Amino acid sequence: MLMLLAILLPIAAGGVLLVWRPQDPRRRQDFVVGSACAGAAAALTAVFTLRGEEVFQLLSLGERLSIAFRVDGLSCIFAVLVSVLWPLACLYAAEYMSREGGENRFFAFYLASLGVTLGIAFSANVLTMYFFYELLTLSTLPLVMHALDSKARYAGRIYLTYSMCGAALGFIAMVLLLEHGGMFFQFGGGVSVLAGKENTLRAAYVLGFFGFGVKAAVFPGHRWLLRASVAPTPVTALLHAVAVVKAGVFAVTRLTWYGYGPDLIRGSWAQYLVMGAAMFTIAYGSAKALRTQHLKRRLAWSTISNLSYVLLGVTTLTTAGLTAGMVHMVFHAVLKITLFFCVGAVHYKLHRDFVPDVEGCGVLMPVVFGSFTAAALGLMGVPPLTGFTSKWMLATAAAGLGTWMGYLGASVLILSAVLTALYLMQIVLLAFFPRQNRQLSVRVPKRARRDPGLRMTVPITALAAGSVALGLGAGRLAGTVAALLG
Amino acid sequence: MSQFLLFPVFFPFLAGPFAYWIGCWYEKARNTFVMSAAALELFLVLTLWTKPELAQATAVVEGFCGMGIQLRAGGFHTLMALLTATGWMAATVFCREYMIHVHKRNRFYLFWLMTLGATMGVFLSGDLFTAFLFFEVMSFTSFVLVIQTEEYPALKAGGTYLAVAVIGGLAALTGLFLLYRQLGTLSLDAMAAAAAGAEDRGLLWVGGLLVLVGFGAKAGAFPLHIWLPTAHPAAPAPASAVLSGVITKTGIYGVLVLSTTVFLHDKQWGMLLAVLGAVTMVLGAVLAVLSVDLKRTLACSSISQIGFILVGTAMLCLLGEHNALAVDGTILHILNHSLIKMVLFPAAGIIHLTTHSFDLNDIRGFGRGKPLLALVMGMPMLSLAGAPGLNGYVSKTLLHESIVEYIHLAGEGAALFQVLEALFLFSGGLTMAYMLKLFICLFLERNALPEEVLARKWRQEGEHYVAPASVGVLLAYLLVMLRFGTDPGAAMDPIAAFARDFLGGTAPAHAVDYFAAVNLEGAAVSAAIGAGVYLLVVRTLLIRRGRYVDPIPPWLDLERGLYRPALRFLAQTAIVLATLVDRLGPRLLFHGIPCLFQRLRLWWTGTRDQLLLLLTGEVYSPRPTVEQAADDFHFARYEDEPRRLVGFTHSLAFGLLLTGLGLVFGLLFILLH
Repeated sequence: MLMLLAILLPIAAGGVLLVWRPQDPRRRQDFVVGSACAGAAAALTAVFTLRGEEVFQLLSLGERLSIAFRVDGLSCIFAVLVSVLWPLACLYAAEYMSREGGENRFFAFYLASLGVTLGIAFSANVLTMYFFYELLTLSTLPLVMHALDSKARYAGRIYLTYSMCGAALGFIAMVLLLEHGGMFFQFGGGVSVLAGKENTLRAAYVLGFFGFGVKAAVFPGHRWLLRASVAPTPVTALLHAVAVVKAGVFAVTRLTWYGYGPDLIRGSWAQYLVMGAAMFTIAYGSAKALRTQHLKRRLAWSTISNLSYVLLGVTTLTTAGLTAGMVHMVFHAVLKITLFFCVGAVHYKLHRDFVPDVEGCGVLMPVVFGSFTAAALGLMGVPPLTGFTSKWMLATAAAGLGTWMGYLGASVLILSAVLTALYLMQIVLLAFFPRQNRQLSVRVPKRARRDPGLRMTVPITALAAGSVALGLGAGRLAGTVAALLG
Repeated sequence: MSQFLLFPVFFPFLAGPFAYWIGCWYEKARNTFVMSAAALELFLVLTLWTKPELAQATAVVEGFCGMGIQLRAGGFHTLMALLTATGWMAATVFCREYMIHVHKRNRFYLFWLMTLGATMGVFLSGDLFTAFLFFEVMSFTSFVLVIQTEEYPALKAGGTYLAVAVIGGLAALTGLFLLYRQLGTLSLDAMAAAAAGAEDRGLLWVGGLLVLVGFGAKAGAFPLHIWLPTAHPAAPAPASAVLSGVITKTGIYGVLVLSTTVFLHDKQWGMLLAVLGAVTMVLGAVLAVLSVDLKRTLACSSISQIGFILVGTAMLCLLGEHNALAVDGTILHILNHSLIKMVLFPAAGIIHLTTHSFDLNDIRGFGRGKPLLALVMGMPMLSLAGAPGLNGYVSKTLLHESIVEYIHLAGEGAALFQVLEALFLFSGGLTMAYMLKLFICLFLERNALPEEVLARKWRQEGEHYVAPASVGVLLAYLLVMLRFGTDPGAAMDPIAAFARDFLGGTAPAHAVDYFAAVNLEGAAVSAAIGAGVYLLVVRTLLIRRGRYVDPIPPWLDLERGLYRPALRFLAQTAIVLATLVDRLGPRLLFHGIPCLFQRLRLWWTGTRDQLLLLLTGEVYSPRPTVEQAADDFHFARYEDEPRRLVGFTHSLAFGLLLTGLGLVFGLLFILLH
């Protein structure tokens, strides 16, 4: 019941917001942050009390199909991640959206997405996951199209097209999974394979990988993420760096480790194919990020690259790789949401969107760019900050395969690390050490600083500090994740 | 007390932000705080040195950064930590005087202390992973020290420094993966045994070479020395003192770790280091002779001395079990070079304080009538050039002796090493030459400008051209040098003995007689070469119309001529490839197929219209104008009316069509399979 409460409470709150339509920003903010906190609290309670308990079956659709929920290790990681970040993002959005208009509609869907995402996290079988996965597309579509101008509508259409195509492929994978008895998720996979049918199943798995991989922005299906960066920053930050894309990664992980099972895929062409796709996306995303001058889009390319880090870890099909991938998923979520928040703050206060325009902004917005630097260093993998540990774990896991594919994976990670350093340091250096306009770097008096209000700076600094703390406690976190995954 | 070692490493990291916080309100209080932090650090390290129960202390933090870190004291670790702490203490004293003229002092002190902590972490590390961790932190924090002035040369030098640090760091990281995978451990104690039992030496070599790239770059070894000649002059004087005196030694530390664990007594590794060391040694010295910038000369001199140290490291690999001379020489040369540069760079800073220039033509004759400055600069210069009676002579003699010993041992195949010995003496001679050049220029020659102009230009702010506190520190260093140099047997040998274990050295069979005729002869040869080079090359070729000139054409610069173009080429290739991929696939899918549809539709409407025109005599429909969707490149510039633009290709219907197609194909596959 607690799980159901966590899922339904935010959705209901979103519905209330649509009907109630409060005009007072203060009241709306209290309501939104309050319900997000309540939903998150319910989810956290569920995580800590219900872990490992029996499946909670909501509704049965015949003998073999059902909508059911359960909390297991993987759900814990994803649910905790989402529940911690969502209230902070709501707080940020409360200030940010005051410039954009249409807040009631926005927050209604913003809240509803929390419930849907938790639904994905808690789903106990592939049908439930598929159901919420589709629901996530629909509930986030209005957020992408929020501005309702031509760009936004166009982005929305692209988003919908890609998601539908992906879901179609995912559907095939699901049907085959149901056929072969892998309905309920269990670690190691529950598929019973008839001899001679392996390659069919592997083909279905590959289809599912690329299908669910659309939300995780794996190579052929990555373009919607770039278009979608026209959405308001709270959406880009939370959904397109954390919730939606991580739901994609989560679904792929479920499919790989809990549905089809690593034994089926290990060492086969299917593994090489999906690993290759992940590796390619890593290098390609980083290279494209370096080329892109639009701040949000550069970060979006970076997200594409980083999501594939996680997928690379998952598709090594070793527990070390899975752990490393999940650790990177957590780290990347915290780091990327911080980076997006900072970029959003620059847009909000200074209306600057391109890399060359941030020249000298570091002194204007010391808090924002201080946090940006911390997160950027983390993502680059400067020890002892966050990204370093996960990259170390990922590369060791990849190299630990002992095959040429593994070494290739490790070297792609290193290559991508160089590119990450280039595309992020460029922004940081430009912000703090302007090249041409030397007068930009002179000390700015306190009252001339342009840091945004507390509702934005508090989440930003909290997340940046959190990322540093996570980096220092990375070993403990990795241990917890490994224990959760069993 | 077991975790005592965490204090010297992490205390500066905590003190840094605190100093920043204080500095927001009180400048003086911050200065005092930073000074006492450096003093406390020195005290902590001295405790390590003096307390016997801490002599072999270790500390472990489980799970820090995944692998957990290990720290350990004892021997070489403690010696280097002591060198770091004293260096920082002295430079901090000098900072008070120097940094008044620099903006953003708060930021400087924040990173100053953090760099101290990181350097301490490298030297006190108990495994290679920990060393790498702190090494990377140090790279980034010291970057901020380099670009402190934020002037164009500093930013450019900082860029190079950062690039070398990042690329070197990642190379080292890759190498660590490989080593860790091969050896199963990165602990300094266990690596040698694991390497001896490793099956695949090839992979070990790849890993070792990559790690060598990372650490060698920081040490300033050829061909990655490019950051040194620009970064040292650009940084404020105290920062360049520690950069040269201490931070380059972290690179050497990494190389030493490799040479004494993974490649213990490995002849090939020794040959590689010998070649690298010889090139670095000669190249640095040549660059230093040619340079017309005081700090650049000192920086190039650092490169050259690093070359000497690398040659020592090579010899300790080559000599195998009987490497006592090479081990002692390497340790003592690290120590001596550090001491010498900790005096020379602040002294250069003193000159800059009054003259605001490092150009030899501008500061020519500055030292006339300043005997104190002449002493402070002259003694370390002589020492580095290897004058007997000073500390530099001692370590150079040891290194030289180790080469001679190898020539004796190798017998026939020693021709190469006779060349090495000649190069060694020649580089020693060049050291003498560039030091002569600097000394004569500063203290004997007259400036081209008349006295009155100079008096206005070089106006001092205070009564003295240097603060008494700084002089005190520098003189203390000189005393140490003198003590080391005059009685090496009593003062230097115990230090070498103290640190020897780390490098796997055994005590030499008999005490070295430093002042024997054969050893003095080497010094004399070097001095003669130096005087010759100075008279024949510097006086004739490098001084034109009374001005010092730098004859190196700009295109010969390795960085400008090779690295930057190569890097740009690589980046552009990557971008072109990514763009190709980016365009081709989606073009085919989203433009190719729909284009076919559009063609067909156009053809159909055209035919239909013509048919209708024929039949009815009037146009049925105006020809639709079809435009391509705005592509990626014009992200921010969309047209106002999207419906016309988007067309079928990006519509929902198209998406559903693809979905349907996907389903059909999938099901077909499953049915047919």
